[in-house]
Amino acid sequence: MDNAATTRPYDDVLETYMNVNKMYYANTSSIHQAGREAAKLLEASRRQILDLMGLEGYDCIFTSGATESNNIAIQSVLRHKKPFGRTVLLSELEHPSVINVGEVMKDEGFNVRYIRTLPDGTVDMAHLGELLDDDVVFVTVMAVNNIVGTIQPIREMIGMLKAYPKVHFHVDATQAVGKMRMDYRGVDSLSISAHKFHGVKGIGALIAREAETLSAIAYGGGHERNIRSGTVNLPGAVSMARALRNSDETLDAAEKRVYAYNRKVKEAVSGLHAVQVQPGGVPHIMNLSFTGAKGEVVVNALGTHDIFVSTTSACASKLKKLNETLLAMGSDQPVIEGSIRISFSSQTEEAEVDRLITALYAVHTEIGDVLK
Amino acid sequence: MIYDHILVRYGEITLKTRNRKMFINALRQNMKRALTGFSIELAAQWDRAYITLNGEDPDAVMDAIENVNGILSVSPVAKLEKSEEAMKDTAVHFAEEFTKGETFKIEVRRADKSYHLKTFDIQYMLGGYVLENVPDLKVDVKHPDHQIMVEVRTDGIYMYHEVRQCIGGLPIGTGGRALLMLSGGIDSPVAGLEVMKKGVEIEAVHFHSPPYTSPEATEKVKHLVDIMSKRTGADIKLHIVPFTELQTKIYDWIPDNMSMTTTRRIMLIIAERLAERIDGKAIVNGENLGQVASQTLTSMHAINAVTNFPVLRPLLTLEKNEIVEMARRYGTYETSVLPFEDCCTIFKPKSPKTRPLVEKVEKFESKVDFEPMIEKALEGIECYSVNEAEEKEAFSSLL
Repeated sequence: MDNAATTRPYDDVLETYMNVNKMYYANTSSIHQAGREAAKLLEASRRQILDLMGLEGYDCIFTSGATESNNIAIQSVLRHKKPFGRTVLLSELEHPSVINVGEVMKDEGFNVRYIRTLPDGTVDMAHLGELLDDDVVFVTVMAVNNIVGTIQPIREMIGMLKAYPKVHFHVDATQAVGKMRMDYRGVDSLSISAHKFHGVKGIGALIAREAETLSAIAYGGGHERNIRSGTVNLPGAVSMARALRNSDETLDAAEKRVYAYNRKVKEAVSGLHAVQVQPGGVPHIMNLSFTGAKGEVVVNALGTHDIFVSTTSACASKLKKLNETLLAMGSDQPVIEGSIRISFSSQTEEAEVDRLITALYAVHTEIGDVLK
Repeated sequence: MIYDHILVRYGEITLKTRNRKMFINALRQNMKRALTGFSIELAAQWDRAYITLNGEDPDAVMDAIENVNGILSVSPVAKLEKSEEAMKDTAVHFAEEFTKGETFKIEVRRADKSYHLKTFDIQYMLGGYVLENVPDLKVDVKHPDHQIMVEVRTDGIYMYHEVRQCIGGLPIGTGGRALLMLSGGIDSPVAGLEVMKKGVEIEAVHFHSPPYTSPEATEKVKHLVDIMSKRTGADIKLHIVPFTELQTKIYDWIPDNMSMTTTRRIMLIIAERLAERIDGKAIVNGENLGQVASQTLTSMHAINAVTNFPVLRPLLTLEKNEIVEMARRYGTYETSVLPFEDCCTIFKPKSPKTRPLVEKVEKFESKVDFEPMIEKALEGIECYSVNEAEEKEAFSSLL
């Protein structure tokens, strides 16, 4: 029940990964026949990913994952745009791989400002409007929030940003791709990561409207259009294309199922004392609070029932501070402290959801004394 | 190897201003597709594109893109460090390829205005140096046989002299989409390629009537699509319509001399519905006025009556030998003349009417309900695409 952290790879994705390693292990940059075949396979994977995402005409740069993609997008575009403006707008809800890059960019002379969040978890469009001016060169927001699952108004933002042609609009689509359909056309760049949609770990992509706007942040042999050097992870790339296709094919059915799970859990906990469901968006991520308890306690208690959830994003869960997403949404401190994240996948089965509900009830009884 | 880049000059794209980006994007996509398998890098800029060769053979790369619509010309380019010596060496290297007695000119573009040598300095220096070092050449600034181009840019000096003319036109995909009726003969592939020149993306439709038409006939049409795709860098989809049932029905019910007209009408009805499905805005065919019975003005009128779609006939008034000449140039001719029967030739009546009247045709057709068979044919369409076909075969188990 922690599929927002990572997912189990599809079996055929693992097969692809292994077969590519066996059959196409040549370096995609080699000029010989084997290298060319590998390069062709790489291009076919690239095309399949862009096709499935409805982004024909975009470029796809393979990276090690969304963290690297976010880093390349932010750092390289900002350095390139420095002469044209120095203001960067981030939503408050971003993943550490965006927020922390923003902090570093401050040292390089950029003025990083945060777009406020509405109580429902979406970015405050009015505030974005106020923040936009001639000095803004970069705006970034995540398509789907990793803590509560809010869907951000990407299309509206594209519309608003049309009036600011020098702004590069980056979207971290890590939690959305493969799990819901979204129209990304008009976005300047977006990050995806295979392991979030049943691919393997260590492969992702930075998809850009024009690769020319990007450049390297780590230097080497000039692979991937001089943006991401290092021998290309072909097995990863091909298996990611496969995972995306599988996800795409099963998406509609999975979405329906997951939506039903979400409703079922929400209904089940609706009568429980001191349990609060945070406003969400996508059905595959939901955030609950056991007010009065510590989220960590709830996670551990569920663990004893063999149910694995998390308190917040896995990337931030070891940090001893309040969850920024919930803080930004204006939740009260006990709500934030007592929050857990439950995330489903297309492979989640109904029986597991029932076990989750049983465990939630049991835990609620076990820690009932501390709940307010 | 002296060349490390290919310079690509745009054709009619340069007439565009406000929506030029869209054209450039389309061109970049098509070039990329044509260059699949080369480990090159492609940077499409506002007024030209540069291909970084990364050690690839410049001629092979130019061969691969010279028929991509939207490219006016290409040149293999040597990128040099900004030194006078490097420029001199390269100029002499180029000039040594010229024939004795020919004339040349040094042409300079100085994009980097801060470079210490001015245009005239460079011309004077290189012109003089070539004259000193390569015998029997002359300078002619008005009508030179060769131009040695020197472009001074911030990141280096680019030099070239060879200019290979390409096909020009507009990038495919910028002019909407049309459905090409592809019989497998000489004319229809040429018609398709002509329309593609104006940036129109093509999908093709072919009618087959097994067992009356052979699998080889269909293979031949697929092969034509392959040739057209390879030439243009566009991924042309081919829709293959099962036509046997309709064909035999027509044969049974429509008088012999009218059957050709009805066959064509029904093909056009199917084409129109297919065009609608693929969001096509026109139908293209290889009709040539007066060439055969179905292509007289009266026939066209009777056949065309079934559709409101624009039917584009780019070969309408050409001479047959002109079309053959074009087919040879496009490389479709040899395949087109392979002797496999298509459905038109097998069911061809002995003496088809050259002046079929719409009313008469409609009267005969009204006796048969073709509609369910038309729908069935549409449902039975099989789709073929070169790129997909090639890759699916090789990579299907992986992707």
